[in-house]
Amino acid sequence: MNQSQEYTILLNSLDKAEQGPVLNDKDWDLKYISQTVSGLVKKYDISWNQDDPIVPWDDEFADRVFAAGVELALETGVFCLDTKRQMQWSRDELDLILSLTPKQVTTGAGEEAVKVFARRPDDDTRVAIFGGPWGVAVPEELYPSYIESYAREPIFDMVENATLLSTYGRMIRAGSPWEAVAGWQEAQMALEAVRRAGRPDVALGSTEISTTEVGELAATTYGGYRPTDVHHAAFISEQKVSYENLTKAVHIAHTQSLSEVYFNPMYGGYVGAGPGVAIAIVSGMLLVKVCFMGTFCNTGPTHVHLDCSTHPDLVTATSLAFQGLARNTNLLTSPFIRPTTGPGTREIFYESGALTMATVVSGASLIDCVQSATGNKQLHASPLEARFCGELAHAVEGMTRKEADPIVSWLVEKYKHIQGEGLIGQPFTEIYDLETLHPTKEWYREYEIVCKEMETEFGIELT
Amino acid sequence: MSNWEVLQPQFTKYILAGDEDAAVSMARETLDAGATPVEFFENCIAPSLQHVGSRFETLDIFLPEMVTAADTVDKVNAEVINPAVNEAGGDGDMSLGKVILATVQGDLHDIGKNMVGLMLKVNGFDVVDLGTNVSPSDIIARAEQENVDVIGMSALLTTCLPYMKDVGDMLVGKGIREKYSVIIGGAATTPDITEEMSANVRGDNAADGVAKCKMLLGKL
Repeated sequence: MNQSQEYTILLNSLDKAEQGPVLNDKDWDLKYISQTVSGLVKKYDISWNQDDPIVPWDDEFADRVFAAGVELALETGVFCLDTKRQMQWSRDELDLILSLTPKQVTTGAGEEAVKVFARRPDDDTRVAIFGGPWGVAVPEELYPSYIESYAREPIFDMVENATLLSTYGRMIRAGSPWEAVAGWQEAQMALEAVRRAGRPDVALGSTEISTTEVGELAATTYGGYRPTDVHHAAFISEQKVSYENLTKAVHIAHTQSLSEVYFNPMYGGYVGAGPGVAIAIVSGMLLVKVCFMGTFCNTGPTHVHLDCSTHPDLVTATSLAFQGLARNTNLLTSPFIRPTTGPGTREIFYESGALTMATVVSGASLIDCVQSATGNKQLHASPLEARFCGELAHAVEGMTRKEADPIVSWLVEKYKHIQGEGLIGQPFTEIYDLETLHPTKEWYREYEIVCKEMETEFGIELT
Repeated sequence: MSNWEVLQPQFTKYILAGDEDAAVSMARETLDAGATPVEFFENCIAPSLQHVGSRFETLDIFLPEMVTAADTVDKVNAEVINPAVNEAGGDGDMSLGKVILATVQGDLHDIGKNMVGLMLKVNGFDVVDLGTNVSPSDIIARAEQENVDVIGMSALLTTCLPYMKDVGDMLVGKGIREKYSVIIGGAATTPDITEEMSANVRGDNAADGVAKCKMLLGKL
């Protein structure tokens, strides 16, 4: 990795935010994004219907999605919310940055060092598992044991953090000193949680409580989060960036930390339906890479009404985009598994499993799991559904897309009719024993039933 | 007498296509033929916008189409309906009420708030959109300036809720809380924090937000 070259590229991104053409927000949404995506869907003939495979295996189709995404990325670029300027990259710049992308990266340290690999569709290379309740709100008194319950799952190569509801009993105010206090408290509690789980060197997702740059700046320092943890910076839909997130990217670069940078296009929003989302994922993943110089590129496209990433059309869109990226780049990609259903329900295994499986066979490098019940219900996520995703991901390494398609279709049929019915399940405190941090018998029984189904129906053994 | 059964579907097509000239012409010709502006609004604009809103709820159309339809109706109102009402001695206001919308300080997410704004518009509300990252004092100042009926606030991130609470506290502190109905929404909000935010109601989603605004203003 050429650090100085990457740093120069990051500085150039900051220049672009101050030197590009000035635009207004509405023109960006309607003319630059919506009209361009609509034109690219037609130009590259990106379409499918309900009778087509939910996990396509046509390489030429995936390459067309990739080409359309590249064109969107180069034509539009990124809109800087603070300067109201368009940031654009040339084809040469994009190619240079992609050429610098490593084919493998190590997260964590010591016994917890884990290699994450660039993968191709139908690849048997190991996929990494990033387990945790990302974005799920948790009272501070439960935070350490909640994170510990995830860290105790050996299948998680990295442990993602939850959102603190308060810090020392106070509300956490974005951009204020309280965000700094909360960021530091989160780091201390998360580090204590993984130490108690006997995994002090495992990589942690960080800094979760960092609405602005303040949390990340406060918590990624001596005694806090480490360079071997996985730090976050993000776009706002569609293809918009803030100085706050660019500042995080600069700090991540200065501390030579790993990062997972992300972008969630909106299904039903300015990019339209599935085909537009597929193009937007490719474009957004390329742009978060070039804009932030991140390590891993993540996406959890969001249905505008359901708030999930698991709508059947999104499964196909995400699969196609990941195939296009995996066939044409070495980007280390990850899907964000965000089902409508919550822990304690049998359906969450089907819903989370479908997108997990579709993306593993499409070339994802790691799986982010699970933001249960769309992530906005307090304590509504548990390690068990994430364990299921991890086990399923490893079980289908080497499976082809064509082989996976009927299984994913079977999974989708199990949940698509109940999306939107508010099946949010139960909070962690009702389905886990807070002393032992083990799932209740009832909740574990649901997991066993679905594992058994996967074995009897498809011969997939989950252990 | 206007044939609303023919006019209304055609008007819907015009606004979805963003054909401002055709939509304005239809409104002008219908009024010239004897319809009152209120009749045109009630028989053509309102049902067309409700049709657009319903199609977005089922994702038969997407956000850009809804933006286009709302913008086209704004044009028709500005060029034909409002002037005609004024000429007839009315105040030119046929909206169900005036709503100010903002994503609160610290939060830059706008798509959810924009969806609510559009759904309110297509359901007959007058909407003042302050954008994202709006400070509590700015929200209150604009609410006073615009003489709104409803203050609507959105937050996707829990760390932005304190700024939402500030608005409620400031309204109470200034002794003007009773002047306004307050609705909150967004992923960071939950039903049990509505009271803490000094809000009247919480909208679960865009459609629910519209229903709650109608309820608050007695328009259901």
